[in-house]
Amino acid sequence: MNSFLNKIFATLAVSATCVLASVDAEMEGMEVVSRDDGTFLIGSPTFYFDRALGAGGIHSESELWTPRKLRYRLLFNRMSILPSWDPIETPSVWMKTGNEIGDLIYQDFLTDNNDRPINRTPILEVGVRTPLFHGFWGTFRLFQDDHYCFYSARSYRMNQVDGPFSFFGDNWPMFSSAYGGLGYTNEFINASVLAGMEYMWIFTESSRWIPVQYKPRIESRADFGNFSATLVYENAEYQNFRKKETGERKEVNGSLVYNCGESCKRGMLQLSAGLAFRFVDDDGVVYTGLENDRVVWPFLEMRFKPMNQLKFDVMFGVNDRDWLVQDSVEYQLPVPEKMNITVGAKNISGTHLNPIADTHEYFDGDTISLTTSGRMNLLQGYVSIEDTLAKFFSVGLRGSFWAEHGAETFDTEEFVDDGIYTFRHGDVARINSWIKGVTGEFWLKLWYKELLNFTALTGFERIDGNEKRFEVNPAEFFVAFNADWLINKTFRISHSLRYRSDAEWNLRSRDPYIVKGDWYWDATFEQRFPKYGISFAGSIIQALGKEVIEAPNGEYSRVRFFCTAKKAF
Amino acid sequence: MKKLITILALSLVSLLHAEDPLAFRNDSAAVANDISFSHLSVFIEGGEIYPMGDLMDAVKNTLYGGVGVRYTYWKNVDGIVMFQYAYFKPNAKIDYDGVHQFMGRVGIEWKWPVIHPVALGGGFTCDWTRADVENFDWNKKGGTLASNETEFGWYARISLPVFKYEKYSAGFHIMWEHLWTLPKSSNMLSAGISVERSIW
Repeated sequence: MNSFLNKIFATLAVSATCVLASVDAEMEGMEVVSRDDGTFLIGSPTFYFDRALGAGGIHSESELWTPRKLRYRLLFNRMSILPSWDPIETPSVWMKTGNEIGDLIYQDFLTDNNDRPINRTPILEVGVRTPLFHGFWGTFRLFQDDHYCFYSARSYRMNQVDGPFSFFGDNWPMFSSAYGGLGYTNEFINASVLAGMEYMWIFTESSRWIPVQYKPRIESRADFGNFSATLVYENAEYQNFRKKETGERKEVNGSLVYNCGESCKRGMLQLSAGLAFRFVDDDGVVYTGLENDRVVWPFLEMRFKPMNQLKFDVMFGVNDRDWLVQDSVEYQLPVPEKMNITVGAKNISGTHLNPIADTHEYFDGDTISLTTSGRMNLLQGYVSIEDTLAKFFSVGLRGSFWAEHGAETFDTEEFVDDGIYTFRHGDVARINSWIKGVTGEFWLKLWYKELLNFTALTGFERIDGNEKRFEVNPAEFFVAFNADWLINKTFRISHSLRYRSDAEWNLRSRDPYIVKGDWYWDATFEQRFPKYGISFAGSIIQALGKEVIEAPNGEYSRVRFFCTAKKAF
Repeated sequence: MKKLITILALSLVSLLHAEDPLAFRNDSAAVANDISFSHLSVFIEGGEIYPMGDLMDAVKNTLYGGVGVRYTYWKNVDGIVMFQYAYFKPNAKIDYDGVHQFMGRVGIEWKWPVIHPVALGGGFTCDWTRADVENFDWNKKGGTLASNETEFGWYARISLPVFKYEKYSAGFHIMWEHLWTLPKSSNMLSAGISVERSIW
């Protein structure tokens, strides 16, 4: 290797010391905060715009229903991991706490009242999962994320509900959840029943934060053979204390799925099928509505793999209101063998991105339609190349072109100022013209045994279309440097240093709201004790970047630190 | 796209379960090499804390005391967990006597082989504070401390366990603490003595 390359590698290795790939998330479902491969704008733990560069289309990932999200939470019209009711698989006990950095402590003695910074807010999580006892296990989890909840939003939300609205503290956090239950696991079945209570603020198309208290929420799951079943009961209480409004929704939802099993996966044709459903019964003032109070959504997944290098994937769902198709084809070129060249295409077509979501929102006498006529079509073709040039070094690139017609958007008819917030009237609509995009991504990976994994990646995207009608104009450019160090198999340092260019919200305020591009740095330091199954970790998130509001009616994304302790049984 | 296809190809059941963050305990090589907790000792310590920089105008020097646990982490590196307490009296005009402060620290300490027995350490610190007062006006100076306030930061520490007798050792230490407070960060220097007893 020549000296020039040596210098490059040395430089990159040094860079790796100040960057990561697997920084711990402050809460399960908040991984988006540290994502570096696209546009990720956090309004609160219960609402964010998450779109990977190169995903195609102008929607965010959480807006799109897919079968893999069957056990996600449906928060209004978005599929969300948080608050997760996935039981932690490992028998263990864990605790997590942290705070946005910047409390005054003794600086308060030197600071005038008017110059005090806004109060910083914490997170908290405690949980346990017991070891198996004759196949039975128990679990309990309490978690709330008080970030993104202070400043203007707090006073507004305090007046919206009757009394405190969380399990702990006086911050009126955007969610606070607690549940516990029992499960049974053996080689044939994995089943659980969990029950709990939740406080949640859900963001809607009108840009309102609506308080919902689930009291109780009960979720049962069973995975047996090739089947997965989920059944949920929710008693959701709604209120607007200022307007003296109350309402209640009793909901039963769930799914039943047949998964392609092990022997099925070895075949040329792989089939899975399932059914998702929701039944609701509203009483009093409930701010959203589901047409006919029910939705039943049967779907089919198919993979056709005539040879190792070629595969077709199709997901098709249909009911009396909507249909949705997500399909793709991918071919790996057999030559040159080591280059790993893949060409592919994907398509998403349908009447609605999320066919199981509510269909209406009710806002001060107005009914906001959350569905619209017509259909969307997203087509994307791509090529990716990844080449391992040495035993410690690989490079890759991916380029794609996409075009979308009928993209879902929102036609705003009127903005309403409500003191602190700006709301909107209107309806979900379509952009019935073609939007085109071209993307390019390049990455470089370096690794040395398990000591170091380093990735540098960058991407750009150029979109051409009626951008003023996009909910969000995604960032055009990002660059990220990620590294994981594992020293002596027991000390992990994970870094992520990244830059994202400007992104812009167009439709939730009178003037476009620009989220300026910035650098961010996240890091996790973890002590591991393999013999004892113990982990102590500290993480700092959103450092370097200027503290800004990333979504209209959202709250500041602040630098925070949290620590985690886990012990496996 | 490739990721999407990969994800769809996996079974729904496996997709719905998060990766085990404690999977390292199943790495037999890691377990075999793990010498953590092969030695463990407990210590008590005490000394004085000196606010530094602007903080000198806010609070006075004060005494502190605490307990800790030291355990083997690597061959020449120990893990440290400390809990300490101090009572800070204002150096500015504040309408209460003082503030209770509890400190928790987690870090590591490297036994410097060149200059024995010097050990260099560092880690994260978390300070929890509450004013020694009830029903204080939040708008007054110091009002935020009338309820619980917490801040994180880091510390660096030099330890000199110069005396050793059977299972006991004693020595001096100096520690620098940096808290991520606003509108400015806060720095403190502390110096004290420790008495340590080996448990195993």
